[in-house]
Amino acid sequence: MTSTDLAISCTDVEVSYTIASHRPLIRDLLRGQKPAAQTIDAVRGVTFDVHVGETVGVVGPNGSGKTTLLQATTGLVPLAGGTCLVRSVPTFLGVSAVLRNHMTGRRNIQIGLLAQGLSQDAADDLTDDVIDFTGLGDAIDMRMETYSSGMRARLHFSIATALSPEILLIDEALAVGDRSFREKSAQRLDEHRANSGTVLLVSHNLAEIRRSCSRVIWLEQGLIIQDGPTDEVLAAYEAS
Amino acid sequence: MNTDTPDTPADKGLFPVGKPLPLSEYLREIWRRRDYLLQVPLNDLRSQNAHTLLGSVWLVLNPLLQVGVYFLVFGIIMPIDRGVDSYLVFLTIGVFTFFYSQRVISDGARSVVSSLGLIRTLRFPRATLPISNTVGQALSFGPVLAVMVVVVLAHGNLPTWRWLLIPALFALQTMFSLGGAFAAARFNHLYRDLENLLPFVFRLLFYVSGVLYSVDHYIDDALVRTLFLFNPMYCYVTAWRWVMVGNAASTGVMVASAAWAVVSLTVGFALFRSGESSYGGTG
Repeated sequence: MTSTDLAISCTDVEVSYTIASHRPLIRDLLRGQKPAAQTIDAVRGVTFDVHVGETVGVVGPNGSGKTTLLQATTGLVPLAGGTCLVRSVPTFLGVSAVLRNHMTGRRNIQIGLLAQGLSQDAADDLTDDVIDFTGLGDAIDMRMETYSSGMRARLHFSIATALSPEILLIDEALAVGDRSFREKSAQRLDEHRANSGTVLLVSHNLAEIRRSCSRVIWLEQGLIIQDGPTDEVLAAYEAS
Repeated sequence: MNTDTPDTPADKGLFPVGKPLPLSEYLREIWRRRDYLLQVPLNDLRSQNAHTLLGSVWLVLNPLLQVGVYFLVFGIIMPIDRGVDSYLVFLTIGVFTFFYSQRVISDGARSVVSSLGLIRTLRFPRATLPISNTVGQALSFGPVLAVMVVVVLAHGNLPTWRWLLIPALFALQTMFSLGGAFAAARFNHLYRDLENLLPFVFRLLFYVSGVLYSVDHYIDDALVRTLFLFNPMYCYVTAWRWVMVGNAASTGVMVASAAWAVVSLTVGFALFRSGESSYGGTG
């Protein structure tokens, strides 16, 4: 596989959300109407390619469509227009998601591994490694609802990267961990890249983007303002 | 997909994201997760009563107490004729097997919406969720069945050849209920209202499925009896009573029990799969 192979290829991708009453009420159903709702065009025609082994940063103000764009490439959010082609289904990593709140961290790891298609034996073998990587110590046997957001992020990152997905989408996940975990996860990303893994990284931490990414996409109101080498784009972004 | 240019996306090893898997591949992906399907509900069962004094004893104690209450109310306090020989046995079989389907379907309805975190994080066939819930309910039916057998034996009934049909009947009812769970999970993801509605649907079904009384005893009209075959819960409850203690059941009930299983599972699964890409979305 050469580095010119594409990992993600998006053409004119549009994503819109309907908010307020986003599901029809009975009144609407009876009248045969679509529910009154406001449509937000979160991503309005975005075209970009990501090559295998590339780490691309995505920057932009809040609400510029960064997270939505990432989710669109996983197929979790339906596209309103355009096409999005991928080499393998990307693994999405966000801070807000939790697996099962009322279960312990250890149990969440096991469920996460089994759901990804591992056998019980294979999952058992891997669980200790994952626990080790989380660095959560005894807290791993506490229920997830007792976890801080940083601890959740650690657990989440560890589960999602345990099986080294080909394409990894990271949504501010590293920002919440403490320094030692950030170093560890950055290291894992480096390994991931070395194995020609592809990463899309959304972050407001420009230092982190500078450290990890060779290329940056700058989004504003659902459109690409600039797409190019990290230094160039970040210089323009910071000047704006 | 565009095929008139030499450099098609497929040539580059790319495929459109969010495209549903073909059925055979979808089923294979579910089979690959068989350890999830069994281990997760097993663990849930173990941890369910982890904070109680009696622990897993509750799995047996719960159905026992249920029978105890019925015995007290209908056997001792108001022992009136309801057109059946042994009302306790009649009631136990009816209630236990009715509740089995109710649990599978109501639990299944919540299976997708209660796992949104998992769905948004990891990619796996979503049908895994209702199936694994159903496996859990099927496992916990074990102790319930044991209590049922004890009640039947204690009342002086002896095992017959019909008991060999228990696994088959259980399988049919499970297929039916899983199909219901698939459909319920799909609609509950669209409209959470279903979750609030289901208890009443089952309450109503409970009263029209002959759980508390013998339908045959009260209804003579052949046409009305035939109409009862369109109530799957009536079919299963009646079939169970025939298998366990030989209460009369028509051939129609047997045929309907099998037909309901196949229809429900097929339609339910198809419904569930048609919503596959929507689970975990903005809902």
